Amino acid sequence: MTDTVVNLRLNQQQLELMDRTIAQGVAPDRVSLVRLALREYAAVHKAGAVTETAR
Amino acid sequence: MTSRQIISEFVIEPGTGKAIELLKGQILRIEQIEGGQCADFNCFNLHDYKEFMHCGRTRTVHGFHPTTGTFMWSAPPRERAMLYILEDTVGRNDVLFPRCSAYVYEASYGFAVHTNCHDIQAEAQREYGLTPDDVHDSFNLFMCTGVDQDGHAFMTRQTSKPGDYVDLLALMDVLAVPNVCGADVMKTSNFALKPLKLTVFAATEADLAQVPSVPKLASQRTPRDFKNAAIKSDRPLRRDPTYKAEFPNTPIVLTELPISFAPDELAIFNAMKRTDIYGDDDAAALRDLLFSWWEDRFLQAHAGAPSIGSK
Repeated sequence: MTDTVVNLRLNQQQLELMDRTIAQGVAPDRVSLVRLALREYAAVHKAGAVTETAR
Repeated sequence: MTSRQIISEFVIEPGTGKAIELLKGQILRIEQIEGGQCADFNCFNLHDYKEFMHCGRTRTVHGFHPTTGTFMWSAPPRERAMLYILEDTVGRNDVLFPRCSAYVYEASYGFAVHTNCHDIQAEAQREYGLTPDDVHDSFNLFMCTGVDQDGHAFMTRQTSKPGDYVDLLALMDVLAVPNVCGADVMKTSNFALKPLKLTVFAATEADLAQVPSVPKLASQRTPRDFKNAAIKSDRPLRRDPTYKAEFPNTPIVLTELPISFAPDELAIFNAMKRTDIYGDDDAAALRDLLFSWWEDRFLQAHAGAPSIGSK
């Protein structure tokens, strides 16, 4: 299966917050930060929601 | 606490209030004499009355019933801790209800004239040159309130007893204005008007040591930071022909950030995204997820409230 692209649209303030978070060492770049957010948010809010069949 | 020095004492009778100069490091005790009496409260920076206590900011920081260990905050753009609630023997105060007013008693009860907190506050504040328009939203001490399932604020009877008190420690020089709530035909003060005792103390070192530190930030602005620092002195509003808008951080510009999801990541996203709100707008749903995550992980205060060091 191929990757799917979602085009986030963020304003300069939202990007600033992302960049300050990245500067703390949370993630190496913006894309990585979004991926981290997805994984951590899912782990906290809907652990086990995604099954292997969805891969 | 017994080593506190008493600076002044007052009794405010039913239907009255008192403006008190409360200097930094002094404590105002508002005390029940008979019990069951609500005290409405206003507070201004003694040296700049345009800085005043803001119930809206206070309730976002401390909830609907601020008590011991919380602050009374001034309105934006000042947003400073003005007073610290050092002790509260009841623990039931209100920042939901506005002050009662003549309009309430005329509209709902048919009174041509009735004791009411707005007019009592205005009369007490007049001693310092303030006008009825300067009375601000009231911090209601000892008032027992809540929110019902329909989202309406309600008030009910209170349980304060003689000798119950709230101690307010001034963190700056303020004009503190308590008044005996004028509501005798509501549950606010158990359908009666009773006097309240006011005592001003000099705080002890032990009192001062109880105050948590709060952040001092550049965003706590003063008139020195204002584009128009002069107080408007007339009533009509007229357009300034030289006005040129200078809204900060404008224009707001959107930038696209493509995120490539592998099938397993897409599956997680599809399971998590709020289609109930965003429908098929995956970009909006991902933005929501990103900042919801950020709130969960990094926000130290309730959403919409400034962080003061504890959640």
